[in-house]
Amino acid sequence: MDITKTASPSFKEMALKLLPAEASFDACLTCGLCSSGCPASGLENMDPRKFIRMAMLDMDQELASTPWVWLCTQCRRCYHVCPMSIDIAQLVFFARGLWPEEDKPQGIVRSCQLTRSTDSTSAMGLPPEDFVFVVEDVLEEVRSQQPRFSHLQAPIDKKGAHFFVNQNSREPMSEPEEMAPLWKIFDIVGADWTYSSKAWAAENFCMFSGDEAAWYEIIKKRVDAVNELGCKVWLNTECGHSYFTMWSAINRFGMEADFQLENLVSYYARWIREGRLPVNSDWNRKGITFTVQDPCQIVRKAYGESIAEDMRFVARTLVGEENFIDMQPNRSANYCCGGGGGFLQAGMTEHRRAYGRRKFDQIAATEARYVLTPCHNCHSQIEDIGHHYQGGYHVIHFWTLICLSLGILGENERTYLGDDLLALQD
Amino acid sequence: MHTPPRTITADLAIIGTGLAGTAAAVFASNRKIACAIAGNTGALAYTTGYFDLLGFFDGRFVGDPWEALAKLQQTTPQHPLAGISSGDVRRAFTEFIAFIGDNGITYSQPGSDNLRALTPAGTLKPTLCLPATMSKGVEAISRKAVCTIFGFHGLKGFSANQIAANLQNGWPKIQARQIQFPSHLQGELYAEVAARSLEVPANRKLLARILESEAGQSEYIGLPAILGIHRPDNILEDLEQLTGRRIFEIPTMPPSVPGIRLREMFEQQFPQRGIAMVPQQRIERLDFTGEKIALQLKDNHGPITISAKTALLATGRFLSGGLKARFDSISEPLAGLPVHQPSSREQWYQDEYLDSRGHEIHQAGIDCDASFRPLGKDGTVFDPRLFSAGIILAHQDWIRQRCGAGVAIATAYRAVQAVEDFLAE
Repeated sequence: MDITKTASPSFKEMALKLLPAEASFDACLTCGLCSSGCPASGLENMDPRKFIRMAMLDMDQELASTPWVWLCTQCRRCYHVCPMSIDIAQLVFFARGLWPEEDKPQGIVRSCQLTRSTDSTSAMGLPPEDFVFVVEDVLEEVRSQQPRFSHLQAPIDKKGAHFFVNQNSREPMSEPEEMAPLWKIFDIVGADWTYSSKAWAAENFCMFSGDEAAWYEIIKKRVDAVNELGCKVWLNTECGHSYFTMWSAINRFGMEADFQLENLVSYYARWIREGRLPVNSDWNRKGITFTVQDPCQIVRKAYGESIAEDMRFVARTLVGEENFIDMQPNRSANYCCGGGGGFLQAGMTEHRRAYGRRKFDQIAATEARYVLTPCHNCHSQIEDIGHHYQGGYHVIHFWTLICLSLGILGENERTYLGDDLLALQD
Repeated sequence: MHTPPRTITADLAIIGTGLAGTAAAVFASNRKIACAIAGNTGALAYTTGYFDLLGFFDGRFVGDPWEALAKLQQTTPQHPLAGISSGDVRRAFTEFIAFIGDNGITYSQPGSDNLRALTPAGTLKPTLCLPATMSKGVEAISRKAVCTIFGFHGLKGFSANQIAANLQNGWPKIQARQIQFPSHLQGELYAEVAARSLEVPANRKLLARILESEAGQSEYIGLPAILGIHRPDNILEDLEQLTGRRIFEIPTMPPSVPGIRLREMFEQQFPQRGIAMVPQQRIERLDFTGEKIALQLKDNHGPITISAKTALLATGRFLSGGLKARFDSISEPLAGLPVHQPSSREQWYQDEYLDSRGHEIHQAGIDCDASFRPLGKDGTVFDPRLFSAGIILAHQDWIRQRCGAGVAIATAYRAVQAVEDFLAE
């Protein structure tokens, strides 16, 4: 593909636009801090430092065709550590957009197509009426099988509810019982919430495919849905990029959004502090150890240190101070696990696992039995590399552990528990 | 979309997260001064890890930095170190090192003489304090012990062969080996990646086996600085037990693990000590007009205001943006402070890059009063609430004098003392 013949800006022009004012790429010292801290360095013989140098040397041809742009998850760690604040991840996003649709990883393209195919905005293509059916079906089951929750609610399209809650498609499509823990948490804290039948889904593969127009289209549907129901707070489920794609798009495209964007983790912390979620670590008699993954899309790229602290407050309260082991590095300096950016759908499994080696080493160094994470992509990737590198640890969402600690985790909500946690259930 | 505005209140806002800024945060926190700190930590991740007080003065390398300091105070009274007693300098180093040591990175205490320490090029340089993981290198050099320096395939920025070759004459029992880092398959090996890998016990065992088999009769083993990031002392101890040899680290070219250790440690520890830290973000605007100083910055989530009774400018020099050079003038971009500088562009540089007189531009910087308060255009204090520390200060050439850490730590110490006095009034 000869992009020099297209009207779009060259990489160099794009790169210069992305610099902070008055900065210059001459300021790049090629110090290597970016590459040194990037898990994608060395894959496809490329790294962030090389990428930026090639941009400055007008090597557009090579940049537009290197598969490395699908291995960089755009986690922005390079930007975080760069003394010159050079945003290489944005350049990668631009590069992705230059690829013809038929050459892009088809798993990502297909997910974007599915996302646009129904009003659900679901990357698995689950239409609104099917989503409603699954929710009502699971709700019925919980009400009948868990007496304490015989009056459990899972509202859909409740106008004026305080919280608009999104839902990652994985649960309704493949493990619907896993939706229930969060409903029970909402019930206990008395949250006024609702799903929406339209634009209910969380994920957004259109951003990953570098398709700005499609990304906007999806977010517009979601923003409209929140505006329509008149909810004050859009409460993001335990999914990383769903928050980032929403918040980033609203800013980027200047959208009218008359609501606050919040993350579940912040609310777990708040509810615990307010005494509305009475969790504690008494259940952890065996001193089972836990670590926490900082999803790039929630911590480094979004809320920063404050949500990282909230997450650790929640984790420590749940498992016990002495049973929590932070991985190194952590918070905004943590490594991407390799689950983001569409990597899980890109079909480049060998590269993805090579990328994930650093995350595996981080977890191995903690010797923790469980990794807690509020992100579906982290969850899937960390599980996969755990099996691949034979780690022996398990990965769970916060809602699972919250319900476990309260003694309300239903029998078919225990899929991700290891034997040690299962043994504590009876 | 509603993003609630975020304000941080503090008694002291520290602008800059290099050595001076982080040292100031340590001193302030120890004195129960509520502080906030923000900055983009660049060059800290380049450091060898050595804390120099004064390494080159009066035309020669310095053996006794305290004696040289006394001479400096007499001959160059405008130097930032000239107004600080050697007692204070010593206390500053000791207190800063104590904090770092309490958080997993032990340093040697300031002694009566400089230590002769290795550089990545295999030359020797004087320094006052160094990481404990490097101490046995000083020992090995002075004892001229039987020693193997190991390099790793793919690890650029470190050449065991070069180090051994440069030191051979005075140290005949030094030798070099090049080995493969365990589980590193191909391409470039970064010191940071190797260091993180050694946080995993299994990887240490693998490395120890290779070292053991290649070290021959060597009593000492020298490695590039890769002994972990988080708990380097523990990793060193473990490897020494596994190999039965004395081991020391040698700094590499950037990106430097000893520097990354410090940065990550500060980023993790400061919030735990109640120091409000916004990592990797620069202060963008200062406003002195209100009762409190308002500092504006932003992170990925939106704008942040720090509202503080006092502020400390520790923004460094040209690399970090503390000073800005246009073609014919140098400015301080944040507060607009006047910058002491050569009278014209022609005087910035000598013709020869390595001219032993040094370049006058390196002496440019901010002038302060005895309390480390920057002076305004009329020569009086710019604002009684504004203080300054570190290599942004004028009348020192930290590169040639090897006094960067000394200037950073000691001026931060005195500046925080001055802040404390001011807040007490």
